[in-house]
Amino acid sequence: MKFKIHRDHFSNGLQQVLNVVGSKASMPILSNVLIEANGETLSLTTTNLDLGICTRIKANVEEEGAITLPVKRLATIIKELPNSDVKVEASPNNQVKITSGGSLFKIMGISRDEFPALPEFSDDRSFTIEQANLANMLKSVSYAQSSDETRYMLNGVYFTFSEPEDSNGSGKLSLVATDGRRLAKIDYEMEVGEGLSGSLILPAKTVSELTRLIDKGENLKIAFNDRRVAFQIHTKDEADGFVGDILLVSKVVEGNYPNYQQVIPKETHQRIKVERELFLQSIHRAALVATDKSNSVKIQISNNLMELSASSPDFGESHESLAIDYSGPDLQVAFNPAFLMDPLKALSKDEIFFELKDEVSPGVFKTLESFLCVIMPVRYT
Amino acid sequence: MARISILSDQVANQIAAGEVIERPASIVKELVENSLDAGATSIEVEFKKGGSNYIRIEDNGCGMSKDDALLSLERHATSKIKSASDLNRLSSMGFRGEAIPSIASVSRFLLQTREPGSEGGTEVLIDAGKLIRCRECGMPPGTRITVSQLFNSVPARRKFVKTVATESAHIVHNTRLHALAHPEVSFALIDDGRMLFQTPACPKLKDRVMEIFGKAATGNLIEVDEEEGGLRLSGLIGAPGHSRSSRHEMLFFVNNRPVENRTLGYALIESYHGHIPKGRYPVGFLFLEIPPSQVDVNVHPAKSEIRFRNEASVRGFAVRSILKALKETVEIGVAPVELGLRKANRLVAKTSTQPVHAPKEISQTESSRTRAESGPVTREGPACEETEHGVLTVGAPSEGHHVTEVPTPSSLDRSWQFVGWARGDLALFDTESGIVFLDARAAQRRIWYERVLIAYRNQSVQSQALLLPIPLGLDPVSSAVLSDNMELLETYGFIASPFGRNFFRIESVPTWLPEGDAGTFVSDLVDLLRRGDLSDKNKNANEDRLANHASRRVVNGTPTPGDDEIPSLLEELFETKNPLADPDGRPTFIEIPRRELNRRFHRGSVDSYKAEL
Repeated sequence: MKFKIHRDHFSNGLQQVLNVVGSKASMPILSNVLIEANGETLSLTTTNLDLGICTRIKANVEEEGAITLPVKRLATIIKELPNSDVKVEASPNNQVKITSGGSLFKIMGISRDEFPALPEFSDDRSFTIEQANLANMLKSVSYAQSSDETRYMLNGVYFTFSEPEDSNGSGKLSLVATDGRRLAKIDYEMEVGEGLSGSLILPAKTVSELTRLIDKGENLKIAFNDRRVAFQIHTKDEADGFVGDILLVSKVVEGNYPNYQQVIPKETHQRIKVERELFLQSIHRAALVATDKSNSVKIQISNNLMELSASSPDFGESHESLAIDYSGPDLQVAFNPAFLMDPLKALSKDEIFFELKDEVSPGVFKTLESFLCVIMPVRYT
Repeated sequence: MARISILSDQVANQIAAGEVIERPASIVKELVENSLDAGATSIEVEFKKGGSNYIRIEDNGCGMSKDDALLSLERHATSKIKSASDLNRLSSMGFRGEAIPSIASVSRFLLQTREPGSEGGTEVLIDAGKLIRCRECGMPPGTRITVSQLFNSVPARRKFVKTVATESAHIVHNTRLHALAHPEVSFALIDDGRMLFQTPACPKLKDRVMEIFGKAATGNLIEVDEEEGGLRLSGLIGAPGHSRSSRHEMLFFVNNRPVENRTLGYALIESYHGHIPKGRYPVGFLFLEIPPSQVDVNVHPAKSEIRFRNEASVRGFAVRSILKALKETVEIGVAPVELGLRKANRLVAKTSTQPVHAPKEISQTESSRTRAESGPVTREGPACEETEHGVLTVGAPSEGHHVTEVPTPSSLDRSWQFVGWARGDLALFDTESGIVFLDARAAQRRIWYERVLIAYRNQSVQSQALLLPIPLGLDPVSSAVLSDNMELLETYGFIASPFGRNFFRIESVPTWLPEGDAGTFVSDLVDLLRRGDLSDKNKNANEDRLANHASRRVVNGTPTPGDDEIPSLLEELFETKNPLADPDGRPTFIEIPRRELNRRFHRGSVDSYKAEL
């Protein structure tokens, strides 16, 4: 294998894949990147067996071939090379020679034969969606994922593609995340062909990789079966050296996602319109005295007035008041301030609706779009 | 012939000896007490073969005239009290007038004594209660008593004398007790010609403890000195985390008399709850001063047991005093770390100018006959103290603060420099005063323990309602227990509801509980309820158990902190009330002092070592 490549292209490509490495000492090859020189492109692949990424970049291939190299060290070296022209040459004993300007590196690699191939599967259930849309949706819900390993099926974002309910309606994609204390959900109308309904739980690690990758082009294609999901992320930025799509293949979380529909309150009791930034800042300030994570912020609603308060026995108290448009009954409820702030931070619209009922019922954030976030209250016993 | 006859004095004495002289150590005890009552400033105890062959006690006390010497051998002859009412004001060691005749009746007893003013001494030799001779002799002022052939006249008793090693241990223990009680008197203990310990008059109890128990023992001691309503508790106790597997180093002295007393024992153990591990015992050398009228020493012939007239108040006072001292230690221990972490300029310097334990004022009855006065010894600044031990005051603040020798580790550090990990969860720190090993797990447990306690200390417990209730299946017995205790659990923030046979749904959990632990935690609580460790009776004990359990559960479920979490771990740890021990009383960190390292590397002091280089 022998090729010439632009330093920055090589570096960009490696940056895309270097997060996905195996941690098992028993398979050292998983901390390597598979480099395949083929035609006019170089493809870079990493995997930790649960998740794999493959990206392709422009290169001037003189001799086709493949090798694997430790990805973290390689990325550091490539980034620091003195000259933008980089020559890479692999010898049959798996040693790779990298030259750039006056620099010469000889790195020991591992033969490609041991590298586990990314799984391939039929994409009979596949959808296309705009990257910007999906990015926005993921951002709106991903904070609510659980990190509790005992309820592993909550360790991800639940994707549901559903067919139109009647002939006039349209299909939709729903994204849901919950940690058992709050739940965030967002819908997006899109075409879902007949018989193509389906759902999957995308693991948290894949969610964060995907979020990082989807700002490179217009569309992405998502295809999945019962065990795996693949994202083909279109890239258009030729200047960065990318060619074609970035492929992300991941295991899905196997298990049944809880029936979240039943925990979303069906009726609206008291609806309060709040200004997102203002509300967010008030909660943030009120929570400053509640140094301990376990403390809560109390919300009191009365005629046209919302009061937020928090206290800590060792430190003191805080009070915040906000003018609101409200004429319903007085009510009071307490929440974990982080649960209130997370959705407010993730959203970008200024107008938000906050729905409340009483001190033991959940609070619900809604937007005019299809976003909602259900938050369970903190009770005082 | 009359069936009832009056026993001869000799038989009566032998019977009395049965009570007073239980074993050779009792002789040492009685005679040392006599010496102390005689105002001796130097006492030498020598014994051979566990004391049954030979015991010699020699003092430089007030001695006796020939008449007194002979009279002292009669029963109930004493100089210490005159009437029964004197018993209420007793401050001398003995008072019954039984010891000497009792001893003399069961051994070969040689008494040599000389009053300081008289020209010569008196020598009285008695064998098994019979006067053999009485003559003049030459000797320095004081009294020398030699007891040999112990129990020769009562073979039955001789059979009960244990092995030489056991009896020797008793004598050593006894002499140590007296030496501790009287730091102002110089003591020497000789076993078969071998000097076991010899200690000059010490100005401070701490020095005495060091002389007797060795240097290592004193490193972890803190001082107690509290006074309240006529009671005074002083002495030394172990720093939190410093414990022993037996009660052997829990020594109590009431009005300078070594005693065994449950009230004080329990008070000490109780005070250390949470400071030392379960099943371990604290260390304490505690002196209680109490008006003689408040205590009854006439409970046991050997006076090793006493009774307080008001046990509850003594116990309460002792617990308060010990807790206060422990709390101060913790505060002192905290200061340096705050320094390190926050680079703050303050140093908690507690200059102690109170007198350390000093021999108490002698009471009414016998002031003329009691021991030499020595005024209260005030403690000097630390400088001389430290040089005395050949220790450098490294990094000591230059602001002219007096800094107490702090018993807890790492008192004067500027900072704790994180070095790395040992064995996975021991964090190593380089400090000004040594090397600190922090048990990260224990530290986390302490933090969680207090976090949970604080959550329950609030008026209302905050409980996070769950969006997705957590199912919990239990066996029938546990189900019944849970059903019966729903309300109790609710007061701790756990709300569960029945959901079919032997099945429950956890609907709300306390806000402090990390995600994911709810199911196991509630079933743990049910186990605690079944064992009776939680009940609706004792709120405080419940909270303690719950917090303790929660700390263990949570910490086991979380990974050991990473390097970057070390500063916040330390900060949180030192914000807790007792950063020195985990909830079970195991130490959170230990320190190897620099001087110990220097000693092991034969470096001498740091400065001279550097000079050599």
